[in-house]
This record gives sequence, structure tokens and C-alpha cells, in this order.
Amino acid sequence: MTLPRQTLRSAAYDLADALDVNEFYQHKGWTDGLPIMPPTEDHIVECLQAVGLAPGDIVGVEWVRQRPITAEKVAINAVMAGCLPGYMPVIVAILRAMCQEPFNMHGSTVSTGGSAPFIVVNGPIRTAIGMNATHNVLANGNRANATIGRAIRLVLINVLGCIPGQLDRSTLGHPGKYAFCIAEDEEDSPWTPLAQERGVPAGMSGITVMAGESPRQLLNEWTHDPEEILETFAAEMRHNMLTYSVWAGNYALLIPKQLRELIVAAGWHKHDIREYIYRAARVLRGDWATVGKANIVHRRGGPNQEFTALRSPDDLLVVAAGGPAGGFGVVIPPWLGSKAQAITQAIEVHTT
Amino acid sequence: MSIRVFDPTAEDAAATRIGAVRLPSLEGRTIGLLDNSKFHVRELLDHVEEILRTQYGVAEVLRWRKPDASRPAPPAVLADMQRCEAMISAVGD
Repeated sequence: MTLPRQTLRSAAYDLADALDVNEFYQHKGWTDGLPIMPPTEDHIVECLQAVGLAPGDIVGVEWVRQRPITAEKVAINAVMAGCLPGYMPVIVAILRAMCQEPFNMHGSTVSTGGSAPFIVVNGPIRTAIGMNATHNVLANGNRANATIGRAIRLVLINVLGCIPGQLDRSTLGHPGKYAFCIAEDEEDSPWTPLAQERGVPAGMSGITVMAGESPRQLLNEWTHDPEEILETFAAEMRHNMLTYSVWAGNYALLIPKQLRELIVAAGWHKHDIREYIYRAARVLRGDWATVGKANIVHRRGGPNQEFTALRSPDDLLVVAAGGPAGGFGVVIPPWLGSKAQAITQAIEVHTT
Repeated sequence: MSIRVFDPTAEDAAATRIGAVRLPSLEGRTIGLLDNSKFHVRELLDHVEEILRTQYGVAEVLRWRKPDASRPAPPAVLADMQRCEAMISAVGD
């Protein structure tokens, strides 16, 4: 393939082979610890062409430290992560969303709280690039899910300096910091896709990103009642409010097929789920006494002070995803309430 | 035969930023302290202020507070900081 010459501005290194490249980049601290693919000019240029961007184009600016993220650096990190050029429109949309002020990218990526950008992809691009929305959706097995999530982490490390112990002050972090990117199972769900609920026109692709803590898995295979099923999700959220952070913000619920079909059969849509969870996911300050936090029960509003997990029902992101069998579900809590807010961004598909 | 690869980092970020000129001494200077509004930061900065005054001969200590630890100080606070000659930004927790 002949590529039009584009001038890359980054420093170049001539190394013996791909194994040497990996060792060099590992030594420089330019990875997440896993091996990287060599970012060669041809691959970088193909990634830039896939989004119609020039090397110096600014994808976004991290507004606290005023750090620009150029298309060239995004492409280099995407190649290193193992991405195909067709993944680039998704990566660019995610970074544009993360650079919006309410996402609070600096705060959420450097905090001791150790969150990771949790990404949900909707629309036709999911199937075009072969993303996974079913078996093992939160984990290994799919190149697009894994490498898009990883590309975002490599941009955070290499372009924004989120190096553990330096700018990244996470006490623990969680495995989603390697990659935390899924597709919604739109084909097997009658519910409105997440991106459409949040303003992306039907038929267009979009991403939603939130600063998420580690997933909390739950199980309820002993009822067909949607309220009982959702009560298990609400209980997991209440537990998170007591043991982790009480502050209200965006939570994501992943509802796989087995539980989803029961909720759908009862005629419930996503907005019914949000209304139920908004009412049910509440704790009293006095409840902290049950989890070893009695010392803060008598502060401020006293033991009867009520906290809601969500500021309003719209704070809840309901996602159809997961394998077909098993009465499991997952709650992904926010990093620190509403200090980082979920952002939905349409994906621009570049046509040549 | 070799393979040419490219630097993934923001190589020019450091070069475009010029650090503030360092004070040769704190003696007789006006020093600012920024409180990030987390727990115990006030006690920490009280202690720092005492050390600055008693051990380093600092003439005046000005204190500011930002309302949110995970966001930058508001523009009005940043503008008012021009009154001091050096800042200490504390991360209380």
C-alpha cells in the first residue's frame, strides 16, 4: 500500500527488530507493563488516515494542566496498544469526551481513589470492528475491546504522564486500568442503546465514558420479579455507598441476558429501572455503624440523614451486556460521586 | 535492516513550560499556603506556617483555600496569589 507522506514530528529511533523495540520501550517506561507493538510510520499514518487527521491536529486538551493531545501521539499509542486503524474513530471520540471539563480527567486519573475510564460503545461501529458485548464482556478475548481500552491507558501514561507513583497516585487501582471498554448488546435487547438515550441520534455510533471503580458482581437466580432482581443491584450500590464512597453520581449497571429477559418480560424499560434504583439505592448515615464506621454516624446531619446513590434517575447508566447464561449482574460505581461525570460523545466516521 | 519507531510521549511538554524563578532565601519574604480543603490540611498548614516563621524568618504567610481538592483553584484565588512571592500547595488527606 502506498501512503501519502505525512511528516511525523515525534523523535524516531532505529532499532534492530520488534523484540528490541519492546525492550527499549519497556526500559523507557512507555508501556503499561505488557509488551507493545512497534509504532512504525506506516502503521501510524494508516491510523491518522482512518480519522482524517494530520499529525499535529489536536484531539483534545487536558484542561487542568493545559496539555494538548495530538493526533500523532494518539496514533502512536494506538499502534503500540495493538489497535487496527478502524478502531481510531472510537479512540478519538473517547479522548474528546474525556477532555470535556465535567469528566474531570486530571482529578479522576491521578487520584488515590484509583478509577479507570469505563467505556461503552454503541451503534454500527461496534459490529464493523467486531467488538464483544456478550461472553466475558468485561474481560479478555476480543481485540477491539482490549486494545481500544489499552490505547486510552497508554495515552494517559505517555501523553499525560499518569505514571504510577508519579502523577498517578492510585493507592490500589483496579484491573480495569489495563482496559475497561465494552460494547452494548443492542442486537439482543429491546432497550434503547445507551448513547441514544444520552443524545446520539439513532443509527449513529457513540461512546459513553465514566470514571469507574472496580466492577462489583452480584447474583440472583431465585426470582422472576423485576423489583426483586433490581433490589439486588440496589443492595450492591448501598453496600458501595457504605463501604466505599457515599457520594451520589453516575453508576453503571450491566444487565446480562438471563436477568434482562426477566425484566423485559415484565414490560420494564431502562427508565423504569432508573426510577426504581433511584428510590431504592439510599442509605442513612446511621447505617455506617454496621460497616465499622460508627465514628462518623453522629456528624453533620446525624444518624437519620439520608443519602441517595444517584442525584436523579438520569445518573444511572443501564447497559445490556454479558453472556447469555447466569443470573449475574454488575454494578460499576463512580470514582467520587459527581466530581467526574459520565460523558457521551458521537463517533465521527471519516470517509475518504 | 532495522525498524524505525516513534516516541509516544509528550516530548515537548516540559520544554514549553518555564519554571518560576527560585528564591535564594525565604528570609523576609511573603509566602502563600494553599489549602486543598481535605481533612487535617489546616493542622498541617498551621504547622508549616509556624516552621516558616520561626525557622526560616518568613515575613508574612498568606493562606488560601480551594473548595475542591480534585479541581484547580478558582480564578479569583489564583489572581489573589500574585500578592505572595512563593507558594506551597499542600495535599492534606
